[in-house]
Amino acid sequence: MMFTEPMVSLIAVVRDTDMDRVTQELLSQGVLQFIRVEEIKKKWSEKLEDVDPAVSQARIAEMRKRIEGFLRPLAIPIRMPNELDLKKRKPVDLEDTEKKLNAVAGEVQTVRDKQQKIQQEIMKLENIKQQVGTYGINVSDLLFAGTYSFISIRIGKIKTEGLGDFTKQMEKHPAVTITLKEEKANTHLLLIYMKQDEEEVKQILKEADWSAVEAPDGLEDFKGEIGGDIDKKIDALRSEQRQLAGRADTIIRNRASFLNEFWIQLRVNELYYKIQSNFEKTARTILFSGWLPAKKEWNVQEGVVRVTKGRCYLEWHSPRDLAKEPEITTRAPVKLNNPWFLAPFQMLVTTYGIPEYGTIDPTPAVFITYLIMFGLMFPDVGHGFVIALFGIIGNILFRGKNENFRNLSNLMIYCGATAVLTGVLVGSYFGLPWLKPVWFDFHGILSGHPEKQSLINSIFDVLTISIYFGIAVIEIGFLFNWINLVIKRKWINLLLDKAGLLGVWIYNGGIYVSLYMIHHNYRKLPPFSHLILLLAVPSVLLILKEPLQKTIERKEKLFANLTIFTPVNFLMGWGVELIEIFSGYLSNTLSFFRVAGFGIAHVSLMMAFFQLAGMAGGGRANTPVGIVILLFGNMLVIILEGLSAGVQSLRLNYYEFFTKFFRGSGILYNPVSLTGVSLKRKD
Amino acid sequence: MKSPIRTYGFINAKLRARISMLLNEEKIQQLLQARTLNETLGLLRETQYEVVDEVYRRTGDLKLGELELFKIEVGIYEEIARYVEGALLRVVRALLLRYEIDTLKNAIRLFFDRNIRNRSIEDTRYYVYREKILHDISIDDILGANRVEGITEALKQSPYKAIIEANWDSVEKTQSLFALEIAFDRFYYQNILNETAHLSQTDRRVVERLIGVEIDLLNIYWITRYIGFYNISSDRLHTIILPGGHNLSAGTIEDALRAENVAHFLQTLLKSNYPGVSMLLSADTHDNTSRLLLIERLLEQIMIHEVKKTLSGYPFTIGIILSYYLLKRNEVRKIQTILNAKQYELSPDRIKGAMS
Repeated sequence: MMFTEPMVSLIAVVRDTDMDRVTQELLSQGVLQFIRVEEIKKKWSEKLEDVDPAVSQARIAEMRKRIEGFLRPLAIPIRMPNELDLKKRKPVDLEDTEKKLNAVAGEVQTVRDKQQKIQQEIMKLENIKQQVGTYGINVSDLLFAGTYSFISIRIGKIKTEGLGDFTKQMEKHPAVTITLKEEKANTHLLLIYMKQDEEEVKQILKEADWSAVEAPDGLEDFKGEIGGDIDKKIDALRSEQRQLAGRADTIIRNRASFLNEFWIQLRVNELYYKIQSNFEKTARTILFSGWLPAKKEWNVQEGVVRVTKGRCYLEWHSPRDLAKEPEITTRAPVKLNNPWFLAPFQMLVTTYGIPEYGTIDPTPAVFITYLIMFGLMFPDVGHGFVIALFGIIGNILFRGKNENFRNLSNLMIYCGATAVLTGVLVGSYFGLPWLKPVWFDFHGILSGHPEKQSLINSIFDVLTISIYFGIAVIEIGFLFNWINLVIKRKWINLLLDKAGLLGVWIYNGGIYVSLYMIHHNYRKLPPFSHLILLLAVPSVLLILKEPLQKTIERKEKLFANLTIFTPVNFLMGWGVELIEIFSGYLSNTLSFFRVAGFGIAHVSLMMAFFQLAGMAGGGRANTPVGIVILLFGNMLVIILEGLSAGVQSLRLNYYEFFTKFFRGSGILYNPVSLTGVSLKRKD
Repeated sequence: MKSPIRTYGFINAKLRARISMLLNEEKIQQLLQARTLNETLGLLRETQYEVVDEVYRRTGDLKLGELELFKIEVGIYEEIARYVEGALLRVVRALLLRYEIDTLKNAIRLFFDRNIRNRSIEDTRYYVYREKILHDISIDDILGANRVEGITEALKQSPYKAIIEANWDSVEKTQSLFALEIAFDRFYYQNILNETAHLSQTDRRVVERLIGVEIDLLNIYWITRYIGFYNISSDRLHTIILPGGHNLSAGTIEDALRAENVAHFLQTLLKSNYPGVSMLLSADTHDNTSRLLLIERLLEQIMIHEVKKTLSGYPFTIGIILSYYLLKRNEVRKIQTILNAKQYELSPDRIKGAMS
């Protein structure tokens, strides 16, 4: 948990006849992160050729993504492949798969084309309605046909017995047919249609023996009926369009099962060929190389030996062995080994960077420091409860959908719970001191009525807590740095780095000097001998850093490449480093005042809202107006202060803590596996 | 006068958040590689353009989906206009004119098709944006007009009436809308540059630079297209070049027009101002089409270069609004190109070549 998982590298040579069995075993184990063989054995590179997998990975991936494109928009879950799918693996026929997917896409497109035709009809009807609505259907307008650029209006009569056929014919076009007058033999009609359909409509009118008649008076009265008729037609068309839209979704849903099966087969094959694309070959053998967790070494050895019936050669190397060879450039990937409940804090760490292999994984430390910082900045039982509640809701909403948002929700649960705890400690319940505080009375301190018996009875005491906390965090950062440097065997850095022994000597010397001055009312410095020992000596010893690195690490002669600027550069470098140490560490430490500051702001803001509520309620906060103000105040504090506390805690961790030891130059461990985790022998 | 921080603080935060949500190159590649139009639109479902997919699934009509894209763009500027005031509001409204002019151009093209070229516009006239952007313009009146007087009547409440009246003779003479469209573009850019007179000196310089680069790009586009493809004489071309370019002064343009190899001339010019991107022009191209596509891709890179420069500078200037405007337009154009290409089943490589 505190360190990255130990890794080991493997070089394997197997018979080419065993290639498929080995591929299957490696995929089943799912623990190997492949590298090129020549990254470890440079001399072999000339004798090796790449293995060309039987099928293009890119094409398989393309098919797979097409299936995802069908299923994901409809939120149809895609099952991940398992061991059984791997056992049932068949070589995939891409041509056949593509044909089947094209057929599905074609069916959907046919539905969309129908929808589009209906949409055109709808737009034409809407246009008729708009034109009639804008220009009306007065007689004078009818005479000036040019008013209507896109529609034609006719008034005429047909034989009543032919009305049914006529109406059926006209329904094939976006048109409105309104009965103006019914007589025994003839029916008078108002006909409105699109000019583009002129020829077809003329034919229909001819067949129906249409004859034009004079427009009657009161034609405007039919505008409402026209609008109603059009609306009815549009509604019917929209309903048909909706049904078609549903049909397009149904086409996919009905095929979800076989699409999922295809996806699984494609995914298994994709991974299979991905493994083979990392193989290299000679005339009769296959070679591959990669990194895996050291605890999986036996599994992989046993598996490869079993499937090759012992016809294999396996060579194992530790990262330390490889680091001794300067021409080997491969670096061990990093696998963070934290329990599930630390996932949100691991997310915070990996957002900053991936720790270097073999160094400390600060996730467990961040779990403690982040929550303490948040709790001290946001101490309230009620507010913490609300934040935790939102976290629980977020956890439920994002489960299985978005891992990052889910982690964020879980982080809110932790922060909320911590805020509840610190709220109990300082006695704050939705801004009110309902119960006696377990630790110190924050409200009492800020309102000028501190508990006299308490050790913490002024703002300065609160600020002191935050400074001591900050010093503790920074010292832990130094400790982590030393541990990392010991692991990496960088002795000069351990001794002479800014965050090495000398740097810490200066830092702690500075703390001693500061505390001494505070205890002597800022009137007295420590004895001169103390200052020399604690500050001057380590500052001078820092001069040795550059010469020692030059001679021991870079193995150069001390006075080699000397120019006139060398001593100047050297002294300036030393001076700048000293300034960085003194001013940087001072600012790092003082940064932690914000922990107290935000806590004070939190309590003060709630006190201010209570006063406002009291003033608005004529001296009592529990009036309707007062309650509204308190509700608003609590919401504002939860959102603004909660966000601020979260962001500031992150900032303090990243900038004040991580900068002491964290080198985010690691590569994340990413093995080729069926589900992204190893299936065999889960620990 | 408000300080820059008070003027731009909120807008800067808002638009930078929006810029971070623009589609990244990976997403554009996914859209390009999607096999069918349905699959491409499915990918947009997880983005701010999901309404395009929603409209397409409901109606099967891609053009209605593209209209939604247009609405999204207009909506963004209308929203920005609510957060600014004074001189800045005038500049934002001047930027909004782009959309109104584009809409007007579409409507006039359809009028032209119907009345002059005698083509049916039944299938296309529904897709012109009809809501009011800045001026009261009845698009239906323009589409339904039979003569130019119908158009000028519809535009009587807007500054476009005068532009049409001044250029319609040329349209009728040449049977082409080119002169009119150039006049609209000239009006648009001149209007923006005029509105900068009320801005602070810093803001004025930013506007002149970014809009000036956009004018440069448009001028280069017209030069290469019309000399390369239509063999139009340099005398005539001189009348259509937009003033206000940042790198291309009138004199430089004259030189470009006289150059034997326009592309070579432009390469020399651009190398000095944009050394990082001019390498693209070193590519060997044999014909005008390839050269033009190459130049268009280069122009996009130059615009992005200028925008990035602006975004990495002092944040509290009008540069944030202009940068977002240019980036967003670029993104929407790309999406439109991809969607249309998918409808016509073009391959990803062909689509990449067409994107500029």
